[in-house]
Amino acid sequence: MALFHKVLLGTYILRKCSKPTSALHPFLGIRFADYSSSLQKPVASPGKASSQRKTEGGLQGHHQKEVALDITSPEEKPDVSFDKAIRDEAMDHFRRLKDEIVNHWKGPEGRPLQEALLEQAKVVWQFRGKEDLDKWRVTSDKTIGGRSEVFLKMGKNNQSALLYGTLSSEAPQDGESARSGYCAMISRIPRGAFERKLSYDWSQFNTLYLRVRGDGRPWMVNIKEDTDFLQRTNQMYSYFMFTRGGPYWQEVKIPFSKFFFSNRGRIRDVQHELLLDKISSIGFTLADKVDGPFFLEIDFIGVFTDPAHTEEFAYENSPELNPRLFK
Amino acid sequence: MSWVQATLLARGLCRAWGGICGAALTGTSISQVPHQLPQGLHCSAAAHSSEQSLVSSPPEPRQRPTKALVPYEDLFGQAPTGERDKASFLQAVQKFGEHSVRKRGHVDFIYLALRKMREYGVERDLAVYNQLLDIFPKEVFRPRNIIQRIFVHYPRQQECGIAVLEQMENHGVMPNKETEFLLIQIFGRKSYPMLKLLRLKLWFPRFMNINPFPVPRDLSQDPVELATFGLRHMEPDLSARVTVYQVPSPKDSTGAADPPQPHIVGIQSPDQQAALARHNPARPIFVEGPFSLWLRNKCVYYHILRADLLPPEERVRWGWHHPEGWNLYYPMQLDLEYSRSGWDDYEFDINEVEEGPIFAMCMAGAHDQATLAKWIQGLQETNPTLAQIPVVFRLTGATGELHTSSAGLEEPPPPEDHEEDNSLQRQQQGQS
Repeated sequence: MALFHKVLLGTYILRKCSKPTSALHPFLGIRFADYSSSLQKPVASPGKASSQRKTEGGLQGHHQKEVALDITSPEEKPDVSFDKAIRDEAMDHFRRLKDEIVNHWKGPEGRPLQEALLEQAKVVWQFRGKEDLDKWRVTSDKTIGGRSEVFLKMGKNNQSALLYGTLSSEAPQDGESARSGYCAMISRIPRGAFERKLSYDWSQFNTLYLRVRGDGRPWMVNIKEDTDFLQRTNQMYSYFMFTRGGPYWQEVKIPFSKFFFSNRGRIRDVQHELLLDKISSIGFTLADKVDGPFFLEIDFIGVFTDPAHTEEFAYENSPELNPRLFK
Repeated sequence: MSWVQATLLARGLCRAWGGICGAALTGTSISQVPHQLPQGLHCSAAAHSSEQSLVSSPPEPRQRPTKALVPYEDLFGQAPTGERDKASFLQAVQKFGEHSVRKRGHVDFIYLALRKMREYGVERDLAVYNQLLDIFPKEVFRPRNIIQRIFVHYPRQQECGIAVLEQMENHGVMPNKETEFLLIQIFGRKSYPMLKLLRLKLWFPRFMNINPFPVPRDLSQDPVELATFGLRHMEPDLSARVTVYQVPSPKDSTGAADPPQPHIVGIQSPDQQAALARHNPARPIFVEGPFSLWLRNKCVYYHILRADLLPPEERVRWGWHHPEGWNLYYPMQLDLEYSRSGWDDYEFDINEVEEGPIFAMCMAGAHDQATLAKWIQGLQETNPTLAQIPVVFRLTGATGELHTSSAGLEEPPPPEDHEEDNSLQRQQQGQS
């Protein structure tokens, strides 16, 4: 078990150190034994080159560029060893844990308490670089066999993110899906030290703010709460986001009191308001049953306190649907 | 369906016990063609054969030699003139009702009718849905005692009722009192279809009017009107003026010498006009496009006329001492903030994306440079300074920021490469 974990971590580290190639991965499993024994083997070499280097030995192998290489070898070859890599990773996690504990003394997430408490507008996600895109993942109905495609990339001048693709509401012929056609962009759950799941605390804010530029299609914003409870994996709070289309940036302000509760895709009869103290992810979905290409450019996503908004929750429970609530 | 269950039960009994009714029942049901209608326990063989002849021999000759896989599909193929509209749909529904009083196979028929609604174009018609619900026999499926109330009474029929309401929900049809009355008559007040109706009546009004940019359901098909609506939809400034620069030539004109004129409709607000007048002629302005705009389920394309951002040193911020930024009557810069005093700060700690000013937008029938040049010429009438400013055409092949261009869209843009027009050409055209 520990060995398997070592292999996984090791492959992860190696992937980070060298340029990732698909040719690399099948060989790592086989060459695992070699790595643990000799510390000086160079990385990132496809089949023929690796066998050559095994015979030659040492660091001279990577200078031979005339070997058939599908990939460009990096300039400097870091000395990589599994043990060192795993030690580094573990130390990194411990460091993050120490930072977290120390920051907790200063205030939430290391910011001084007075700054965190008085904050009234906070940028949660911004799109100014490639690493900001890694915090999101995109899904479409390809997972159930549909034909929609969706991609996420940086927009013009690296100043915004562009989510684009094609929606196709052709139902997959698997005998159980009657409808299809959705694309979604979901944020990854924030992770702390040792890949613990963290959550956002937005309890002092009451409105979600998005600066987007769409193409006139209606989107749905879904917020998911912390998934410590198993039942919560299918529950989410949603509301609609209508884009205007056009070349102007659009500010969308959705108060959190407007989000309705749904489980497994169906609105539930018993509605309660979204509790903001443990939010784990937010997502945008497009499923408006219209086939065709779409795009959505997002500048940033923030939360703020709208002092003019005093509504607590927008939806009443109905005594006809829930007689037990009104007894 | 309950008859199937009854038949199977009967067969099972017969096999197990060699019962009395074995010969009659198994004889009739097995010897017939397998996908016949399942028969009730009480009907005679004579009635069965007459039933069979009614259903399986339509007046027109069949195209396929094999029997229709779906029962009653031929009812929908019997339109007298061949056109598919509400009248023929309702006629087919009525024909089903005439077959038998007992409405055999109504669940299958209703599922089939729900599937066929889209072809006949009646999926948003409430009266048709009410007619469809009318097919159910009334008062039969209502639970009469507590045991029937505990267990789902007639589950397949209830599922069918829910399917009808679900299709209404998908197409945004709001049910009315007649639907409610029908459901009470058919299923009773505590049934699942009735619950679904309650949910529809609760949630539809909540979400009917939340779109801040509503698009009417029936958009006009006329390209000029569509373009006008689309441009007004995109432009937040209400004082903007829409100008039709070119009306499309009628399709049935026989003049082969003139190529068909595409329509050109443009929009510009007074602020944009003023900004264009102030624009420095040394800097070029760009015609970019086509970008896509979706109006409900219709995609139209538009182009914009814009300039690049000025570098920070050239950006003019008029203080109140500048004659143009100074007005005794109105404040030229109004900072309406929520903040009560120094401690309130509702601004986000981020630099928003800044892009150059947009001077005008247009929607044209064709996406090539010639049409857009006509638009620029038309714009020149209201913006005389446009003659001196070099215009660069940046027309992309696919739609703007998109990589994939899919077929099946209205007015697909022609695949063009990156084209740039020379500024001198424009100036000569403008001056001559």
